[in-house]
Amino acid sequence: MSMSYSFRLAFQSIIHDKWVNLLAVLTIAAGLLFTAVTMLTVYNVNLITREIPKKFSINVYLKENLQKQEIDNITAAIKKEPSVENIKFIPKEDAWKELKSSLKNTEYILEGLNENPLPDTLEIKLKRDSINPIAVKKISAILKQIKGVSEIEYGEKILSSIYSLSLGIKTIGLTLIIIMSAGTLFVCYSTVKILFYRKNREIETYKFLGAAKWFIRFPFLIEGAVIGFSGGFLGFIGILILYYFVLLKVSTTFPIFSSFVFPLNIFYLLPVTGFVLGVIGAAFAIGRIRY
Amino acid sequence: MISFENVSKFYDNQTALRKISFSVERGEMAFITGPSGSGKTTLLKLIYMAEKADEGRINVNDMELSQLKESDISVLRKNIGIVFQDFRLLDNINVFENVAIALRIRGVDEREVKSKVFDALKLVSLRHKTDSYPTALSGGEQQRVAIARAIVSEPVIILADEPTGNVDPDTSAGIIRTFKEINARGTTILLATHNRELFRNSGKRVLKLDFGNFAGEEIG
Repeated sequence: MSMSYSFRLAFQSIIHDKWVNLLAVLTIAAGLLFTAVTMLTVYNVNLITREIPKKFSINVYLKENLQKQEIDNITAAIKKEPSVENIKFIPKEDAWKELKSSLKNTEYILEGLNENPLPDTLEIKLKRDSINPIAVKKISAILKQIKGVSEIEYGEKILSSIYSLSLGIKTIGLTLIIIMSAGTLFVCYSTVKILFYRKNREIETYKFLGAAKWFIRFPFLIEGAVIGFSGGFLGFIGILILYYFVLLKVSTTFPIFSSFVFPLNIFYLLPVTGFVLGVIGAAFAIGRIRY
Repeated sequence: MISFENVSKFYDNQTALRKISFSVERGEMAFITGPSGSGKTTLLKLIYMAEKADEGRINVNDMELSQLKESDISVLRKNIGIVFQDFRLLDNINVFENVAIALRIRGVDEREVKSKVFDALKLVSLRHKTDSYPTALSGGEQQRVAIARAIVSEPVIILADEPTGNVDPDTSAGIIRTFKEINARGTTILLATHNRELFRNSGKRVLKLDFGNFAGEEIG
């Protein structure tokens, strides 16, 4: 039997059972699309929460009337800490100007203040992996011990909330992805398997007519592959439509969606995933051929 | 060519065949007869190994079936053309492809497939139904397609289970004539039927089964 004959048999069968096969293709497409959308959502939410720590900093307020040399010494001591990424010195005059400009319309709040009450400040950015409540508490305790440091401020509660939120999103996201992927795998596998259970009698007939195992198996595997690939391809088309819909239509109304990231390269994998699912489903459905 | 030695087959403690012994010589055409449930189909299934004997020895085309490895079963079946009682045609392919499948399984060159299939279909008077699908055929026509599929590869043995069960007496006579012609070319044929008219005055050996027991033989 030539390879082309296997393909011919497979395509004849696909066309003959077109409606059942179409249903299988749509089921696989929906399953893969649903999983991809879940992954996409989790991926984007995760990206947003990863941006938040960039805004996080520890403010180290310095004691009054420190000499430049003393400030340099403090900066050098802080730099030695491995979790510190960079340090920015904000002189009290700059801080005062910034405060004033931020209170442009409510400047009366500052009336009565004849002197600048703000201290010189060192704004410290930490490395990403050090931005968690325990590590920050540890570093701030070390900073407090440095001579010339008056006070430390880093918004402990906000950090805790962000950290919990980020952890929660990661956990929920991962759980969702696992559940959705497992569900999709199961649905796709069951669909292909049910599709091929209908062929049990056909397989038995081939066996009785003296067919070799590969003769029986090959057209079914091709059929499974075509169904799976078509499902995956349809899922990919679905993602593309969604991509243009979100990018062009929704983002004009809701600008937040304009920063939505579609890693399209990953979605090229959908047809491949469908193909693999189809072949595996068909292989399991045919099972071990026994004479 | 086919020999049974004290062969028994049981299904859930029910005896389907009990200590059956007979042989069919190479090139012989023989009938197996008996009422429904007498074990005709089971006996044929034992020959092409759709079932395995629980007791006794079966030899087919110099192959001792109890010694046969799983991988050799397809080799055994390639030497046998089978007309199944329920036809076992594949509904998703047309008549031509249904018949051709027997040749493709045997690796026959595609150039030969077409002429052999047309010859076989001509023999069963179905040349004009090449493109039809089995579901569009009558019971008798489906049976004739099944016969064409069994004979197309020119196997050394043909087993036919009630091959005239769905056809009128004239077509029945035609089918038997076809089998006789194939037999005349040297093919061993074993036909299971409960229809005594088929073998009456045939001059062929008739093996009789009665509720799983061998009940003797006669010349039809």
